[in-house]
Amino acid sequence: MIDDAIKIVKEYKGKKLRIMEVCGTHTHEIFKQGVRQLLSEDIDLISGPGCPVCVTQVDYIDEAVMLALEKNVTICSFGDLLKVPGTKYSLSAARGQGAKVQVVYAPLDAVKYAKDHPDEEVVFLSVGFETTVPSSCIALQFAIKEGVKNFSLLTANKTMPVAYRAMKNACDCYLYPGHVHAIIGTGLCEELRDNEGISGVVAGFTPKELVTAIAVAVTKLQEEKPFFVNCYPRVVKPEGSPAAVKLIYEYMEASDEEWRGLGTMPGSGLKLKDKYSEYDARIKFEIPPMHGHGNPACRCASVLKGEIKPYECPCFGKVCTPEHAVGACMVSDEGACSAWYLYGGLDLRKEEK
Amino acid sequence: MCVGIAGKVVKVQDGMAVIDAGGAKREVSAALLEELEPGDYVMVHAGAAIAKISSDDDEEVNQVMEDLKA
Ligand code: SF4
Repeated sequence: MIDDAIKIVKEYKGKKLRIMEVCGTHTHEIFKQGVRQLLSEDIDLISGPGCPVCVTQVDYIDEAVMLALEKNVTICSFGDLLKVPGTKYSLSAARGQGAKVQVVYAPLDAVKYAKDHPDEEVVFLSVGFETTVPSSCIALQFAIKEGVKNFSLLTANKTMPVAYRAMKNACDCYLYPGHVHAIIGTGLCEELRDNEGISGVVAGFTPKELVTAIAVAVTKLQEEKPFFVNCYPRVVKPEGSPAAVKLIYEYMEASDEEWRGLGTMPGSGLKLKDKYSEYDARIKFEIPPMHGHGNPACRCASVLKGEIKPYECPCFGKVCTPEHAVGACMVSDEGACSAWYLYGGLDLRKEEK
Repeated sequence: MCVGIAGKVVKVQDGMAVIDAGGAKREVSAALLEELEPGDYVMVHAGAAIAKISSDDDEEVNQVMEDLKA
């Protein structure tokens, strides 16, 4: 059966199909597993805004750096965020200035750290989509239950529904991020199909799953009417995870979030509810509004909207590499620029021209 | 941070589960899933099991491709 799928993506000929892999992990797996090489030239894969590190604004990094350097707070973060440039410092550069920054694998580890270090104020950087937010909520729940008062969250959580609508003209069809829909279910995809004519397939992450999802998209696109297919049913159920959604909305509520490239979109994120404000680092440490700015040469904003391919940025591979990243899309393990750079992007660049 | 890890549940206790992901054992939160049992396969994100995995990808691909032809 996988052979049928491979045949479809290899042999497609016709109108150029623009398929957006919304999720940064998809972008990376597609490169890493050689899926791109299988595709007919008439299938164009575009990277989208689904890398939480990439869409996190410079201001947010500045807030975290300020907490660490000026308020003497211990920052606990997923490793990916450390090298994202702020206006002046990244978190890893702030470390060189004496900032305490701990890398954690799970938000719960940050609470445990806080519990073990009662004389430190610990802030967890709660960044992520629907997939990661439940873990932040589990951490908060634990902190409340255990009476850990020296723990708070600095949130920059994002949710996908508003972004799907905002980006709809960038492509013909979405490869929906499998694990976001493992949480929120697939009702939204059907709604987008029925009410807005947005097409998409939920895709898994193994090479076979990716090829199959693209094959389904290619087949359905030729029927020229909006569609939705769940191509990852072994993990994504129509109802998602009601327990996770319930947990999210117990502690968080919708907020207007600023996305790199997409601007501020109403209702596109999640922040702590007022009743948990003692765990909200912005309130607890009275963080003033930030007016950060990134490197003006960086074209992440266009990359995230699928307007340009990373190699079209003049910095790509020259001043901007994963070791010395100018923008977030090169830093992140899920960023489009790092995917193009790491997996033969430079060669592909020649090929594409 | 967004990469999911698939693993087999070896133990469930007090809202936590120990999972075996390719030989490496990890303790993760089981709070998001009801009725998790040893032997179940789960997808883990940021220290929490977010979904059960109901088959391997070969079976899934066959099912999806069959539905496509139908
Ligand atoms: S290559 Fe670097 S500078 Fe250019 S858009 Fe990507 S991250 Fe930004």
